[in-house]
Amino acid sequence: MSVVEIKNLNLIYQSTKSETEALTDINLTIEKEEFVSIVGPSGCGKTTILSLITGLIKPTSGQVLVMGKTPNLKNNFCGYMFQRDNLLPWRTIEKNIYFGLELKKLASKERKEKALDLTNKYGLSEFLKKHPSELSGGMRQRVALIRTLALQPELLLLDEPFSALDYQTRLELCDDIFNIIKTEQKTAILVTHDIQEAISMSDRIIVLSARPGKIKAIHTLDFSPDLTPFERRKTEKAKQLFDVIWQEIQNEKKKI
Amino acid sequence: MKRKKFSAAHYDYLRKYSLRKISILLTQILVLAIFITLWELLSRYEIISSFFFSSPSKIIKTASEMFKSGELVYHSSITLKETFIGFAIATGIGFAVAFVLWCSTFLRSVSEPYLVVLNSLPKIALGPIIIIWFGAGQKAIIVMCILIVIIVTILNILNSFTSCDKQLIALAKSLGANKLQIFAKLILPNSLKDIVSTLKINVGLSWIGAIMGEYLVSRAGLGYLLIYGGQVFNLNLVMTSTVILCVLASIMYLLVAMFEKLMNKFYGK
Ligand SMILES: Nc1ncnc2c1ncn2[C@@H]1O[C@H](COP(=O)(O)OP(=O)(O)OP(=O)(O)O)[C@@H](O)[C@H]1O
Ligand SMILES: [Mg+2]
Repeated sequence: MSVVEIKNLNLIYQSTKSETEALTDINLTIEKEEFVSIVGPSGCGKTTILSLITGLIKPTSGQVLVMGKTPNLKNNFCGYMFQRDNLLPWRTIEKNIYFGLELKKLASKERKEKALDLTNKYGLSEFLKKHPSELSGGMRQRVALIRTLALQPELLLLDEPFSALDYQTRLELCDDIFNIIKTEQKTAILVTHDIQEAISMSDRIIVLSARPGKIKAIHTLDFSPDLTPFERRKTEKAKQLFDVIWQEIQNEKKKI
Repeated sequence: MKRKKFSAAHYDYLRKYSLRKISILLTQILVLAIFITLWELLSRYEIISSFFFSSPSKIIKTASEMFKSGELVYHSSITLKETFIGFAIATGIGFAVAFVLWCSTFLRSVSEPYLVVLNSLPKIALGPIIIIWFGAGQKAIIVMCILIVIIVTILNILNSFTSCDKQLIALAKSLGANKLQIFAKLILPNSLKDIVSTLKINVGLSWIGAIMGEYLVSRAGLGYLLIYGGQVFNLNLVMTSTVILCVLASIMYLLVAMFEKLMNKFYGK
C-alpha cells in the first residue's frame, strides 16, 4: 500500500471576493520510506498540498488517500511541521514538546522520556524550563521538530523547516533529520525553496509550475544510500541536477 | 542556576532600577501628602470655605463617628454586596456567553448587531424600566450593575477569544485537537492577559453600576449617602462617603491585581 495517493486532485480556494485556483490535476503516489521534496515558485500551492494530506482542507475534486484512507484530523498518520515554529509562548520548551502528546492523550512516561532523549541529542536539554522567546530561531525550529517526532508519525510533512536557520545550522540539521528519518524508516515530504537542500535529501523531487500548481517535472535521484546529505551536495551529479531544476523553476517564475 | 555571579555593571543596573522604583513611590506619597496638607490648611484658615470643601480632619472625624455608630460598616457592606454580586454574576454570565459565541460563528454573527446596540445604549436610560420590573429595591440595583458590566465583558472576552493566532489553531487541529481542547489549551491561556484586564475594568464598572443603582432607588448604601448628603448640603458626609468609596474600590482592585500575579506565576511568566 502506498503511503500517499493523490488522484486527479484540484483545489480552488473560495472567498467572497474571488476564487483562487491553487492546484490543478495533481497525480502523485508516495511509497513507504520514500523521501520526496516539493519545489516550485512562491505561492504555487506547496503548503496547500501538505494541508490536504493532513486533512486540514478538503479537495475541491479528486482524491487524497493517506495509508489508504481519506485524511482525518482526529486520527492521522502525519506529523506536520509548519513553515513557522508555532511554539506556544506561554509554555516552557518541555511543555511545548509534550503539546502533541497531550492533545492525542499519549502523554505516557515512556513517550515523554523518548522525547526528552531527542532534546538531549539536539543540545536543548538545558533550555527545557525556558520559554520560546528566550531561544534563537534555530533552537525553536528544533523544538518544533522534536514536538513533531514525539508523536512518532508514519509520515513527516516538513514545510520549509530550515528556512529560519543560518546556513551552518541548516546543513547540520539537514544531516540530523535525514539520519532520523532513515533510521526510523519514516516516509517524508519536504517543501523547500532550496534546490540544493531538496537534492541532498530526497529520493524524488517534484517540481511544481507557477499557480495554479501543476506537476511540471519529477526527478528520481539515485545517490548511493551511504552518502550523507552533506556529501551528496558535493557530487557532480548534484550540481548538474541543480542546473536543470533551477532552469525549470526560472521558466515558471517568468510566467508569474 | 539562579545563584550566578554577575558583573559589576549588572549590580549597578539593579541598584539604579530599585532606586528609580523607590523614588517613584516616594513621589507618589509626597503628592498625596501635599494635597492633604494643603487642603487641611486652606480650609482651616478659611481660605477656601470649609463648608463647601470640608477638610481632611473633618472627614476623619465624620468617618470615625460613622464607624462608632455602625453606619459606616452598614452602608459600606450594602454597597459592597451589590457591587460584588453584580460583578460576579455579570462576569460569570458574560464569560459563558462569550464562550458560546466563540463556539458558534453563526450565533456570533447573529448576535453582533444586538451587542453593538446594547453596548452603545446608556444603561441609566433603562432605570425606569428596571424599577418597574424589579421593584425599587436592591434587586434593581444589582440588575443595573449587571447590565453595565455584562455587555462590555462579552465584547472584550469574545474579542480576545477570537484573536488567537490562526496558525496555532491549525497546528492544534493537525494534532487532532477537538474544540474543547483548543479552548482549554490555546484560547484560554492566550486570553489570560485580556481576561485579567477585563476583570480590572469590571471592578470599576461594578462600582459605577452599584452607585448608579443606588442613586436611582436606594434607601441605604454609599450611593444613597452621597445623594442624601448632597440634598441636605452635608458636604462632610459627601466627602467622607467618596473617600470610603475610593478606599474600597482600591482594595478590590488590589485583589484583582493579586489574582493576576497568581495567574502569571501559574503560567510561568
Ligand atoms: N486560505 C486561503 N484562502 C485563499 N487563498 C489561499 C489560502 N491559502 C493559500 N491561498 C492561495 O493559494 C496559493 C497557494 O498557497 P500556498 O500557501 O499553498 O503556496 P506555497 O507554495 O506554500 O507558497 P510559499 O512558498 O510562499 O509558502 C497562493 O496563491 C495563496 O495566495
Ligand atoms: Mg508555503
